Amino acid sequence: MNANLSPLRSLMPALAVLIILALVPALGPSNRMLSLAISAGINIVALYGLSVLFGQTGILSMGHAALVGVGAYAAALLARDTGIGFWVALPLGGIAAAAFAAVIGIPSLRVSGHHFVIMTFAFGQLLTIVLTNGGDYTGAATGLDLQLPVTFFGSRADDLLPYYFVVLAFVTLSAIASWAIINSPYGRTLRAIRENEKLAASLGINVGRHKIGAFVVSGVFAGVSGVLLAYFLRHISPSQFASFPSIYLALMVMIGGARLLLGPIAGGILVSFLPEVLNLDPVQSRILYGVCLIAVILLLPNGLIAGLADGWQRLFGASRKQAPSPAAGGKHASEAGR
Amino acid sequence: MDILIQQILNGLSIASVITLIAVGVTLIFGLTGIINFAHGEFLMIGSIVTWLAVQAGLSFYLALVLAILAVGAMGFVLERGLFRFTLTRPTNGFIVSLGLIVVLQHIIIFFYDPNQKSIPRPLTGIWDVGGVRIASVRLMVILVTIAVVALTFAMVTRSRYGRALRAAVDDRDTAALMGIPVRRYITGVFVLGSALAGLGGALLIALFPITPFTGGTMVMKGFAVALIGGLGNLTGAVVAGLILGIVEGFSAGYGFSAWTDAYSFALMILVLLFRPNGLFGGTSGPKMA
Repeated sequence: MNANLSPLRSLMPALAVLIILALVPALGPSNRMLSLAISAGINIVALYGLSVLFGQTGILSMGHAALVGVGAYAAALLARDTGIGFWVALPLGGIAAAAFAAVIGIPSLRVSGHHFVIMTFAFGQLLTIVLTNGGDYTGAATGLDLQLPVTFFGSRADDLLPYYFVVLAFVTLSAIASWAIINSPYGRTLRAIRENEKLAASLGINVGRHKIGAFVVSGVFAGVSGVLLAYFLRHISPSQFASFPSIYLALMVMIGGARLLLGPIAGGILVSFLPEVLNLDPVQSRILYGVCLIAVILLLPNGLIAGLADGWQRLFGASRKQAPSPAAGGKHASEAGR
Repeated sequence: MDILIQQILNGLSIASVITLIAVGVTLIFGLTGIINFAHGEFLMIGSIVTWLAVQAGLSFYLALVLAILAVGAMGFVLERGLFRFTLTRPTNGFIVSLGLIVVLQHIIIFFYDPNQKSIPRPLTGIWDVGGVRIASVRLMVILVTIAVVALTFAMVTRSRYGRALRAAVDDRDTAALMGIPVRRYITGVFVLGSALAGLGGALLIALFPITPFTGGTMVMKGFAVALIGGLGNLTGAVVAGLILGIVEGFSAGYGFSAWTDAYSFALMILVLLFRPNGLFGGTSGPKMA
């Protein structure tokens, strides 16, 4: 991995992983594995939104699950009240979550740093309270059911296997969208804000507007992920979108590495499958997540993949290739996904 | 009217616990720059320690002291073991504390199941003052909180240690040159804040049954109160706690108890919108160069 790779080549590792994932059903995985993979994929779609926000712009949101919830509730309400199905609900869910993100973002981004994180946390918590107190309209604490089928050109796509491919398609779309953002002038603007807000502002970048923009973009990803989630679970309730799920999303993106294109995929898969591989119960696995998060933050602040890439480069990179860019040491490896 | 006064007293007793969290949070942030979101889990562990001690047959007051000591010791270990390494990068410290929430909560669930836990009320007396029924346990919670907060306040503003601490916040290097062991003081403040959370936990379980998830909501309210008052501002935290207690009491008195949890967040969002530094002006924490 090198810093002066053409942008297209930086997409290749992610595409390679996605092609491998598309071949996985050929191995005949069990239903349990498939449903784990689907929920991991749904998380990854949301994580790509979070990686644009946190990895590129440097804003940490603790209300991301609430945005997922907006998408999920939009899907369920649309299906119940208007009969609008999966494919139309997808963009509408994304738009709803983006609009909600704007509503949260405009006041929240008046404050920065920790204050902002706590604001997003509070908005997430408020949404849960509103949904719980929403009476019959939002189904109160029990939540809503969703019965409409998912069809794809006339054939049912609800079963695990077809739905796996639907979710995988959206993971691919999110990865490509995220890649496009990272390699666009817009992505550079966001990174400028991340690195030095004051400097960015002095160059004529409208920092406030771009931050809200990044928040709205992350909302689109979250909303789409919410629609996918609602049609997968078929039942949604407020507690799924409270502040703790938001913490888990932040944890996944940080374990994987927020700045890398592969980070969300790595984080989502790792966090979903590690407990299964190690045969842990949910309580033990959550303890493990927490410990992993703390260890990653203290030891590998750029996430696991970047940490591995750095280690690889330190071990083999220097001896294999003397030049062309000796400066492209560990620091660049962690940013190679750009 | 009588019911209203009673509800306000109830509101104030819960607000006392929240104020203890807010004071701990604000103290730790204002003097060390650490944002510890796991503070609510510290509180919950204080409750669990109290519950265990009372179950083992100890009196409530002994259990309370044990809770303070245990959570203070935990604060010491976590500061030395984790937060110490994040002092120059507060965002990392914040994320570490989020990881700690998950870890501490699930360790408690792992060992002591996720169900509700309660202790018999340490004080059962109820006084009738002109039609207002005052439960003595609620009054005890309010009085203990007032005493402890006053003591903390005096220590930070009046004592030699407090002065040295504030000097270290203003200018770390000069304070260190003057012979103030800054690092040790940071640990000290963290331990003090944690001990306050332990006390809050003991008082909370005297009022209500708790679950391992109690910490999550309580810390949000604590942060809301700290932010409303201005993060880093002790007086602000106390006043904001008082306001929240009265607002929640009023709302319960007029039959909107389902929305009680929403007030602290709504109030905080409003305050941050119009006065991002809180009602009484916060600090930006010490400079950790």
